[in-house]
Amino acid sequence: MSVLDELVAGALEDQRTREQAVSLEEVRKAALAAPAPIDATRWLKRADGIPVIAEIKRASPSKGHLSDIPDPAALAREYEKGGASAISVLTEGRRFLGSLDDLDKVRTAVHIPVLRKDFIVTDYQIFEARAHGADLVLLIVAALDDAKLKHLLDLAHELKMTVLVETHTREEIERAIAAGAKVIGINARNLKNLKVDVNKYDELAANLPDDVIRVAESGVFGAVEVEDYGRAGADAVLVGEGVATADDHELAVERLVKAGARVKASETTPLSEHHGPYWGQFGGRYVPEALITALDELERVYDEAKADPEFHKEFMTLQQRYVGRPSPLTEAPRFSKLVSEKTGLDARIFLKREDLNHTGAHKINNALGQALLVKRMGKTRVIAETGAGQHGVATATVCAMLGLKCRIYMGQIDARRQALNVARMRMLGAEVVEVTLGDKILKDAINEALRDWVTNVKDTHYLLGTVAGPHPFPEMVRDFQKIIGEEAKQQLKDWYGIDHPDAVCACVGGGSNAIGVMNAFLDDERVNLYGYEAGGKGPETGRHAVRFAPGTGQLGMFQGAKSYLLETDEGQTLDTYSISAGLDYASVGPEHAWLKDIGRVNYSWATDDEAMNAFRDLSQTEGIIPAIESSHAVAGAYKAAADLKAKGYDKAVMIVNISGRGDKDMATAGKWFGYLTDDQAKALEVTGAHGNTVA
Amino acid sequence: MTNTATTPSGQPLGISHKPSRTEAMFDKFRAENKPAFIGYLPYGFPDPDTSLEAFRTMVEHGVDAVEIGLPYSDPVMDGPVIQAASSIALNNGETIRRVFEAVETVANAGGVPLVMSYWNLIYHYGVERFAADFENAGGAGLITPDLIPDEAGEWIEASDRHGLDRIFLVSPDSADERLATVARNARGFVYAAARMGVTGERASIDASPEVLVERTRRAGTRNVCVGIGVSTAEQGAKVGSYADGVIVGSALVHTLLADDNRTARDKAEGLKLLAAKSEELAAGIHGARG
Repeated sequence: MSVLDELVAGALEDQRTREQAVSLEEVRKAALAAPAPIDATRWLKRADGIPVIAEIKRASPSKGHLSDIPDPAALAREYEKGGASAISVLTEGRRFLGSLDDLDKVRTAVHIPVLRKDFIVTDYQIFEARAHGADLVLLIVAALDDAKLKHLLDLAHELKMTVLVETHTREEIERAIAAGAKVIGINARNLKNLKVDVNKYDELAANLPDDVIRVAESGVFGAVEVEDYGRAGADAVLVGEGVATADDHELAVERLVKAGARVKASETTPLSEHHGPYWGQFGGRYVPEALITALDELERVYDEAKADPEFHKEFMTLQQRYVGRPSPLTEAPRFSKLVSEKTGLDARIFLKREDLNHTGAHKINNALGQALLVKRMGKTRVIAETGAGQHGVATATVCAMLGLKCRIYMGQIDARRQALNVARMRMLGAEVVEVTLGDKILKDAINEALRDWVTNVKDTHYLLGTVAGPHPFPEMVRDFQKIIGEEAKQQLKDWYGIDHPDAVCACVGGGSNAIGVMNAFLDDERVNLYGYEAGGKGPETGRHAVRFAPGTGQLGMFQGAKSYLLETDEGQTLDTYSISAGLDYASVGPEHAWLKDIGRVNYSWATDDEAMNAFRDLSQTEGIIPAIESSHAVAGAYKAAADLKAKGYDKAVMIVNISGRGDKDMATAGKWFGYLTDDQAKALEVTGAHGNTVA
Repeated sequence: MTNTATTPSGQPLGISHKPSRTEAMFDKFRAENKPAFIGYLPYGFPDPDTSLEAFRTMVEHGVDAVEIGLPYSDPVMDGPVIQAASSIALNNGETIRRVFEAVETVANAGGVPLVMSYWNLIYHYGVERFAADFENAGGAGLITPDLIPDEAGEWIEASDRHGLDRIFLVSPDSADERLATVARNARGFVYAAARMGVTGERASIDASPEVLVERTRRAGTRNVCVGIGVSTAEQGAKVGSYADGVIVGSALVHTLLADDNRTARDKAEGLKLLAAKSEELAAGIHGARG
């Protein structure tokens, strides 16, 4: 006899005993006379959360005694206060130590649906459940044949109850559906390690009708399982031991409810309007508590500004009159020809000219937006990190314009390969601090900026330059940069009469220019999106900044957010390398990590060689010298064209984001291509502007 | 190998209701009207073996609970002294797998072993795996400088299953509502930062920590310890007059660093200085209330 058979036999025997005192007819009458049940289906599925069914559980055959629960009504009330959507009451007395008395007590204590959980195989038990006020009953497929299952399901439905139908295999799920089940309990525990097995869940829950409510029923203990089941697609969870044995039952339920809300909030669409802090499983605020007050304030002030037409007016006026927006969308016929010759795709390429903005890059869009927020917050000092120097220059520029004190942190290696930008920042009145700690590149500059911020947070704003870091930065920086794609979309229509591009290419370091140009197209499936990371000497060499290719980045928390991260097998951050200082970063913005995981953006990389060839190609075919960062997107255009060709396109309209101009990179390029005499190269060495030789 | 994440019958672990070791320590000190002395040192500094000796030395010379630091490549809450020590440790082959030896060393010496780690190290090692190994080694609790309770779902679950303390931080500008969130989710004690900023020694301590300790208690926390910037016996005595525990880091780390602040001092000399500094601080802290 199996455990289940034994439990069913016991339950049946106990029922017969009760039937001697109260006949079937009497219990039927009581069921019909009971106050109408709550429609539990309305409680078990919602767009903004994962409903929690919290269980009154004293013991189980597998784990033995769990908790005494002398006052089930009080426990149920605590569950309800914590945000439970339903209470499950075990009424089996032999092994689970429950009773109908528990059910009565719970019923009178709470206003949410109550589930009678027992080994139900007879009409009597169904009537009895209803007579005692249950809104839901449990039926176990493994304990019933098809006819019996359908009969009991129909009876419960006639009594207006909801039935949670417990299954363990795909075959049982099919039997449940055939019998008319509307709420299915799915058990997706891996029996080896007893953890939630998402693959098993997918296998079991595949092709379930949309209107069926999926309840994860087994192995739910804490936030981890709620998140796993929630991301796999479960609508609700049932949890017993994890809440029944907690020291603080209300808090335990509340944590589960919060975890569910977080999963739902992290996956909302449309993509272009998604809000932080979570992008799928990525993002968040992995920062010291000391920064939370400042981040909360920033979020509040930003939300207020976003809703204030005056703020938009001021921002857009400055964008026009100071930055020089809109930046043009330039057709590149000679470069298109080169790409077409190489790939066989009839490509028509347009360049989004962020290089023509004041200060020569897209970074000013964000610097300007945040600087206006600094004014609103009443802070007087701004700090920022910079890699290539473009964000540092943009920040120093807006600080000069608005009269804000400004300090820029820059890794020593970057400060050397971008010496002219250091001079520019100082010319603009900013203090530039060369960071000599760690690897002396962008991430180390961010570490120092974070330390400064933790210390001086009262009067200082950290003007982060990319869509990385803790919430609200990824969302806020996206909002300030999304103008790039919005303009490009409109210009393509107005200037060239083209409805939409077939592809958009951008380089991805932290990812702000890429998000900026892509956001307007994220929800348009006709547009293929391509992001190019810094391939350095190639992903196989270990000298690169590729986070997304197989065998490179892993999941991790870095500088405030969960994302992909280049790290050692100890979790220490790896050294990165790229000829481009602006892409030389160990992690990547959380939205990109999400867009990668959901397959919306194709990520690949361009090596130093490929980027530098593209740098020359664009310069010599169009008379436009791109930044080395942007050259990775230009190199990507060849790859994207080849990919489109492989996908069956014969011709394609492509937008390449030229995120910045290449003047700052001439020392590197001059040396790379041998355009300088030895004497000239030496002269540059003396001034420290010797390009890529440092890394 | 036994799977420490399950019961002997193969079921997942439930909530461990074993009492908190740090709370027991504070209860004992409270009965004696004394604050506890919590000393920090990174594991693996200057090298793994010496650091084990250093931990033992600390406990033998008056440190009650040891905060064993896990060196990290990007320690954003740490000032120059701990950054230098961490980097020396990493260069000398520190690995997270062996930190449990340090935990055992502290426990065997009679101290309460705590670990302080930036979150990515624990996440990467595996949160449940860390909790299981840490519990096995005799660990009491984990201090998480860059993990706030709001992001700590996985850690709360693992620490509940393994009966480990969750030590979150609060800082002088934390709003009352943040203090309440920390109080609700913390176990063992709450780490109150004496000032805004990163770790490091300071000539003086201002009045703000006393206010913060008071506010943190009012938010529902029983045990509040103060750290960051406490470096002398005098400061320890001052802070110990109102806090349940006094946390000292950089000043202890300093004893093992050479005068250039970038390399390790001679081992024997360093340990001697560490013992002396521990005793000096212990006298100040334990004698804080007369």
